[in-house]
Amino acid sequence: MKPFLAYLAKRLLQFAVVVFIGVNITYVITHSTPIDPVEQSVTAATSFGVTSPEAIEMMRASLRQLYGLEGSPVEQYLSFWRRVLVGDFGPSLSAFPTPVSTLIWRAMPWTVGLLLVSTLMTWIIGNLIGGLAGYHRRNRLLKLVGIVSMGIHPIPYYIVAFVLLIVFGFVWPVLPISGGAGMSADRGDTFGFALDVLVHSILPSLSLMAVGIGGWFMGMRALVSNIVTEDYVTYAELGGVGRRRILGSYVMRNALGPQVTGLALQLGAIFNGAIITEQVFGYPGLGSLLISGVNSGDYSLVLGITSVSIIAVSAAVLVIDLLFPLVDPRVEVR
Amino acid sequence: MRVMKLLMLAFAGLVASTAASFAQGTVSDLPRRETLILENPEGTIKNPGWFNIWAINAGGQYTGLHQLAMDTLWYIDPERGLDGSWQNSLAAEKPIYNADFTEMTVKLRPGIYWSDGVQFTADDLVYTVETQIKTPGMRWSALLALNVDSVRKVDDWTVVFKLKKPNSRFHALFTVRFNAIWMMPKHVFERAPDPLRFDFNKPVSLGAYTLYGYDPDGKWFVWQRRDDWQRTTLGRYGEPGPKYVAYVDPGPPDKRVIAQLNHDLDVIHDIAPEGMFTLAKQSKSLKTWFKGFPYGHPDPTLPAVVFNLQNPTFQNRDLRWALALLIDIRAVAMASYRGAATISAIAIPPTGTHPDDYHKPLQDWLAGFELDTGKEKIKPYDPTMGQQIAAMLRPSMGDQIPTDPAEIARSFGYGWWKPNPTAAAELLERAGYSKRGNAWTGPDGKPLSIKIMVEGDSRPVMTRAGTMIAQQWRQFGIDAKIDVAQGTNMLDRRGAGDFDTFIGWSVETYGGHPDLAFFLDSWHSQFVAPPGKTQSPRNWQRLSSPELDKLIEQIRTVSFEDPKTVELGRDYAKFMVREMPIIPLMAYNVFTAMDETYWTGYPTADDPYTDPVPNWGNSRLMMVRLKPTQP
Amino acid sequence: MRILAILRDLLRYNIEFAAGLVLVGLVAVMALLSFASPYPALDVYVVPPDVPPSWDYFLGTTSRGQDVFWQLTVAIRNTLTFGLVVAALSRIIALVVGLVAGYKGGWVDRVLMSINDTFVVIPLFPILVLFYFIMRDAMSWAMLALITAALGWAYDARLIRAMAMSLRTREFTRQAYFSGASTGRILVQEHLPFVLPIVFSTTMNNINWSIGIEVTLSVLGFTDINTPTIGGMIYWANQHTALVAGVWWWIAFPVALVVMLFVGLFLLAISMNEYIDPRSRLARMGGGA
Repeated sequence: MKPFLAYLAKRLLQFAVVVFIGVNITYVITHSTPIDPVEQSVTAATSFGVTSPEAIEMMRASLRQLYGLEGSPVEQYLSFWRRVLVGDFGPSLSAFPTPVSTLIWRAMPWTVGLLLVSTLMTWIIGNLIGGLAGYHRRNRLLKLVGIVSMGIHPIPYYIVAFVLLIVFGFVWPVLPISGGAGMSADRGDTFGFALDVLVHSILPSLSLMAVGIGGWFMGMRALVSNIVTEDYVTYAELGGVGRRRILGSYVMRNALGPQVTGLALQLGAIFNGAIITEQVFGYPGLGSLLISGVNSGDYSLVLGITSVSIIAVSAAVLVIDLLFPLVDPRVEVR
Repeated sequence: MRVMKLLMLAFAGLVASTAASFAQGTVSDLPRRETLILENPEGTIKNPGWFNIWAINAGGQYTGLHQLAMDTLWYIDPERGLDGSWQNSLAAEKPIYNADFTEMTVKLRPGIYWSDGVQFTADDLVYTVETQIKTPGMRWSALLALNVDSVRKVDDWTVVFKLKKPNSRFHALFTVRFNAIWMMPKHVFERAPDPLRFDFNKPVSLGAYTLYGYDPDGKWFVWQRRDDWQRTTLGRYGEPGPKYVAYVDPGPPDKRVIAQLNHDLDVIHDIAPEGMFTLAKQSKSLKTWFKGFPYGHPDPTLPAVVFNLQNPTFQNRDLRWALALLIDIRAVAMASYRGAATISAIAIPPTGTHPDDYHKPLQDWLAGFELDTGKEKIKPYDPTMGQQIAAMLRPSMGDQIPTDPAEIARSFGYGWWKPNPTAAAELLERAGYSKRGNAWTGPDGKPLSIKIMVEGDSRPVMTRAGTMIAQQWRQFGIDAKIDVAQGTNMLDRRGAGDFDTFIGWSVETYGGHPDLAFFLDSWHSQFVAPPGKTQSPRNWQRLSSPELDKLIEQIRTVSFEDPKTVELGRDYAKFMVREMPIIPLMAYNVFTAMDETYWTGYPTADDPYTDPVPNWGNSRLMMVRLKPTQP
Repeated sequence: MRILAILRDLLRYNIEFAAGLVLVGLVAVMALLSFASPYPALDVYVVPPDVPPSWDYFLGTTSRGQDVFWQLTVAIRNTLTFGLVVAALSRIIALVVGLVAGYKGGWVDRVLMSINDTFVVIPLFPILVLFYFIMRDAMSWAMLALITAALGWAYDARLIRAMAMSLRTREFTRQAYFSGASTGRILVQEHLPFVLPIVFSTTMNNINWSIGIEVTLSVLGFTDINTPTIGGMIYWANQHTALVAGVWWWIAFPVALVVMLFVGLFLLAISMNEYIDPRSRLARMGGGA
């Protein structure tokens, strides 16, 4: 027990350090932007109507005070960390005074929901097919599936998503191509709404799965074909153990180890895939929010979203690292 | 294997269920025949539950909020309006000024009610003004604080403003050209602790529609017609046709076209010319502003090549004219709008009532305008440019191109400067440049190098125009290239004067009214910022001219209504031609596409009762004229 | 000499390698053709727009009046260059970090691996978007390549480190050490040749990855869209709503070409991976288990 606790402590420390460094880097990057959010707001407010140069000066001064952009950089840095530790990223500068955390919490379920489900399903399907392919080497159907998934895998994700959009939105329009749910969808009607969300998530998740399956497939197949030649498998076969049992308990279980680590990293990479998927399919998640923040020069929002991503990814890796010894007893904690 | 079969079954089930839901209509649960669906160019709203339009930047504005729920004293329509372009909305008559324009009296219209039953009175107007003066940081705080000395109500229907200094156009603050100072409901806001942090959800409307529902993720807003619509200012025109009006974010341009082809989107705000041509080819129910080419509605703004006049290179008039003579406007029109552009040689947008007040009357003067290049005197104006563009398009577009010269002038514009490289070379030489090999170099030996700033993705048509112009200058031997500054970056650099030239507009007018003070007043040299400091709108070129200053000061003393303003406007146009501080190109054509499957009665060039661009405040007039196609 | 022999074996026994080589070769030829392009790369409206593929315009023309074929050659050249530069830079970083960490061990290893972990965990796209956010137009291709390389070395550094750790305990290493060779010399002269085959196969994947990033960023409009690249072509096509307008050739051909490149590189990578593992190599060539 004691070595595990020591390991736990070390990993937690590492987690904290990584997050700290990551968020700091992000802070520095966002605050070195030459974009002035006050200018953004002033320009947005005066672009169309009557205006006068003196009025703009006044507006600038009052907004500066309102947004709390006074104080030296050191003061701003310290107050930033003080707020972050209680989960408050301050108000969004392009949707003042709505807090950044409100915006993030609203968008988060869409991203997490879509990507969690897609990643897990990709992992399960990819490993299943890969394992089967590695075991039944001669099966032609499996070989075909393998070639297709490996063929799509290297294609850049954007292109796959785009092609699906064209095929199902334009050529054969049976699936909704934008939004997280339909217009005027009644959120009170839980079942109807859930179905609506599900339908809208088909194309995005399909695109993610199409690209992802190939990777797991190849990995699992390679691992399984290695294990299949091991002695204990041959022994089990000779001993008359059922095929399915061998596949399940003997082969796959042992191959899963590295795949689980891979899954951890993939789950962390959720926030990568989010941006492109959401842009292409108009999905109202964190990715769209980030792009919107970048385009309006709202560095509070951008800082908030990136920090959340870093924390989430590190946390996912931490959790898997801790759970890994449970999956693979051969691993020793150092 | 079993697992695979199970998975395939599940997938099939999913597909089947989508087919079922698609049959119902993927768009909404509202009755389609009673719903008008328009595009909101703001896209997805970050914090959709915020309806306090008086706080800056806090929520969506063109979600139907300022078009359908807000109201104010007067409207000027960019086109002809339902009963004239000037509309007395909450005001019963035009503004009444005293002799030296230091006082303005407003007479209000009785019988207008907020959607919660409270009547609109002078109290609301006074509250709107005083609150924004008291609370700096609200949208119109600065403008009101600078202009208004005091405001008081004489009785429930009369308000008197005392101004800090004479301002013959003070009423413009309350006149909707695109938007204006909207009225705040006193009885709602006085209960809120801080007007800057009050979200005004559910909004109380003064307009003919109230909020029916909205998407918590910001993609759509639905408004419902009030049962007591006669008690609104729109009511005097008749009952608004659509019962429900939805403003949505339909996504990138191709998705918008697809949506309209599927009849899920009635009004597209703007798409690329190619998208419009596709719709024209494939949609049988398409309605556009111009029946044929160029389809789009010319907005009262004027894209031009704007020079940074604080940069010594561009302070030379000969150089500016030379650059103008190197531009082939036909190629630029083709590159940017695929020919669907309304060109203008003078610095006034060729739209609304302006062609009748300015463009047509000045044709003779333009044709006779003489330019001295140092070696010869030329008459650079070619009055047939518009017709030449029409002729270029006729082979491929056939009978979509008008043949009547008056119609061509209205859709394509009158004339422009004839491309003249010889004259350009002579002007450049007089300016001190010489050609060494293939490149023009200045007196200091450095090659003439010009960057044109464009907005890239945010405004693709302007980017294409800029790219073509840079190419034409390059072909002549000037080192020209485009410099992409997207979104907020462009706004920053434009304000800071961090550019050589850019393609954009510094001229914006009313459209339906000839008064140019709307933009011209801010061109006075008193407002020019020193180099390095931010320039306020709209004098992006930082022009400082005593001749123009005198003109502006004259306009200030003349009333808004006086026909003398048109004469002064023409003097302005002539000044701009002589000095060429910006090179006017064309009107900003917005490709608003309307679908007649469910609604008919949209405004067009033949029936210009308003402009169809859906994010303008005055687009509310459309609601009154739209009738269901399928009763 | 050894290299030629390896190539010969690969070609003879491994059809994936041959196919990959053909595909990549085609792409390389396209890229080289760009130097013969009759139109300046940045110019627009040099040919009539929206012409479908025909004898005059082999792959058709775009809505901007450019010849798709010649634009494509320049685009693939730029995209490929970007991918190669990023791959090269990140290989160097990965090699240095991996070899040093694996060989030295101890606190050097722990420090380097902590840095590595940080980089593995950083969400890639948000950071790239972040850099674009602050640099906007100052983001030249060189800058982008540098930043992408800095984000792409982490994974492979771990692989190299694993190899280096196993090499450390080998006899020839000890021999070199006791003969007085410096760390640098050991790493370069003794270890590098072992590590190179792995590096080579990961390079293919890395090129794919970096080109994928270029395409994605360009399509979203986050790069200098004046320079023609594959992503840039798709970006402009979207701007002109090409697909809806029926100008499918503007999108189809760049996509087809980049897919060819990807699949080709991918095939090369997996065939080389297979070759490196002696068991699978022998299995392929007909000997052994």
